[in-house]
Amino acid sequence: MSILQNGFPSLEEIRAANGWPSEERFAKGPVAIAECVQEIPCNPCEAACPMHAIQVGNPITNNPHINESLCTGCGMCVAACSGLAIFVVDKSYSDTLGKVSFPFEYLPLPEKGDEVDALDRSGSFVCKGVVTRVLNPARNDHTPVVTIEIPKEHVDEVRTIRRLNAAEPAVFTPVPDAEYIDDDVIVCRCEEVTAGQVRKAVREYAGESVTSIKRRVRCGMGLCQGKTCGKLVTRIIQEETGKKASEIPPATDRPPVRPVTFGALATAGKGEDDNG
Amino acid sequence: MTQREVVVIGGGPAGLAASIEAARLGAKVLVVDENKRPGGQLFKQIHKFFGSRAHNAGIRGIDIGRQLLKDTEECGVEVWLNSAAIGVFSDNRVAVLRDGRTEIVQAQKILMCTGGSENALRFPGWTLPGVMGAGAAQTMINVNRVLPGKRVLMVGSGNVGVIVAYQLLQAGADVVGIVEGMPRIGAYGVHAAKVRRAGVPFFLGHTIVQAIGDDHVRQAIIGEFKDGQVVPNTEKIVDVDVICVAVGLRPLTELAWMAGVKHDFIPEMGGWMPLHNENMETSMPGVYVAGDIAGVEEANTAMDEGRLAGVAIAQSLGRIGNDEAEAKKQEIRDRLAALRMGPFGERRQAAKQRIVERGVN
Repeated sequence: MSILQNGFPSLEEIRAANGWPSEERFAKGPVAIAECVQEIPCNPCEAACPMHAIQVGNPITNNPHINESLCTGCGMCVAACSGLAIFVVDKSYSDTLGKVSFPFEYLPLPEKGDEVDALDRSGSFVCKGVVTRVLNPARNDHTPVVTIEIPKEHVDEVRTIRRLNAAEPAVFTPVPDAEYIDDDVIVCRCEEVTAGQVRKAVREYAGESVTSIKRRVRCGMGLCQGKTCGKLVTRIIQEETGKKASEIPPATDRPPVRPVTFGALATAGKGEDDNG
Repeated sequence: MTQREVVVIGGGPAGLAASIEAARLGAKVLVVDENKRPGGQLFKQIHKFFGSRAHNAGIRGIDIGRQLLKDTEECGVEVWLNSAAIGVFSDNRVAVLRDGRTEIVQAQKILMCTGGSENALRFPGWTLPGVMGAGAAQTMINVNRVLPGKRVLMVGSGNVGVIVAYQLLQAGADVVGIVEGMPRIGAYGVHAAKVRRAGVPFFLGHTIVQAIGDDHVRQAIIGEFKDGQVVPNTEKIVDVDVICVAVGLRPLTELAWMAGVKHDFIPEMGGWMPLHNENMETSMPGVYVAGDIAGVEEANTAMDEGRLAGVAIAQSLGRIGNDEAEAKKQEIRDRLAALRMGPFGERRQAAKQRIVERGVN
């Protein structure tokens, strides 16, 4: 599925899960499109629609369906969708231009009349657009809805604009000769124990439990009491012995689980119900 | 010794929801929380939650947190802040570090809502400043209003990784990419789609190979990942000043182990976790668990598990009739079942079923 590999739904996925307005409906004016293709437990869109055009029903993992003849394209659902996955598309705007409305939770907000970069679902540049409206009433609860006009042929693909403060995309350069020594990597930060020391302890002392490794090399005896390194030590035991994680019990936990001064311990037992 | 009817350890979504439920039914509840403010991780969840519109869906986590605090106050729950439970002993005694003293509180019922802890990942350079858990970065931007850096590499494409990547963009950082060892994205598609259309690439079947830097991280090397190994000669280097690690959470179970609660390894729920029955009670009578300690899930399931435990505790204290309690609990269980439907929830639902069927005895 496109959503799992690409991170955005394909038109086919949207059609299959949510439906897609007919060309007759598009010709009549703005209409909402839900792009919520997985079965997730969520239904605020259903109640957000004043025309009762959106149906999720029971169970709440159903995909939302928008009844195109009831939908007026008002856009109330756009800000109400927790997943920011509802858009309003207007193909009736003019002969050459269409409009797309989308949720936009980034500062700075664009202003009406701004020329902006219109992007598709993958974040790729499609065309230039002009902001025609920025709606951010209190009922949107900090989810502004931006509307842009763009050439009509792009309204099915454009779903957002480039953030106004976005940097250039990062460059990833191949480094075929990357080298590092895993044995030197610290595993227990508190006691400064390396992966090599833990590995040696597993091999030399047949240390097959987190507790036995802890006794040998002190990992897990520091300030955090193994909260960070416990899993990392388990992982090395797995690598060395081929055991499953379920076969390696965590180290024994003992009080106190937070660092405590002797002074604080000395008061132990005296509670507010005691006299004196 | 201090006596309390119900002691709830941890004032996050599960602990507060449980306390409110139990207190409304007449139980006397004390919540101990080691933070200066209750609410757990809710106050850094600035996104709108999923779920049923009847139960907080569409509301931002931070606002759900505010409502929980208000309800907690209104129904007379006692809250100790800056108070860490540091040990659990026989006879339901909890040692609490408070104001530089150790106070022993004896409870009739203990509810553990200690939450979860982010998993670390071993790679060269992971101890450099600038390499941090995604949850830590989220706390910095959303609670402390500090941007940890300008160019972030996210490791892990689950909901935490993708949501925090989105929130880093909102905070003004750039996210150079999201690295995922599996061949598919782990997060809900709608979350992935938000960062994707903002221009963030996913590197599936990739892993972090190395963090490079001096006083802090300056570059990251990623590479293709197959059969648990980095594929040679596939490494790529990129300039970053933050690497966020979002490779899952595990239940925070120290106190439950200490209390003698029976545990098992449940991979779907984050690994070792205390077993519990359909009332969230563990193998130790009078010791309950709810929220991420009872298997890592989401805030809305944590709250409902808390409510379930709250009702069960009030019932066991005789504060609510059995018929009324069973009806209330069934309503909550139905809601939990609905939240665990669909491709993302069904594994957790099956795991929970297995846990309850296995029993605690």
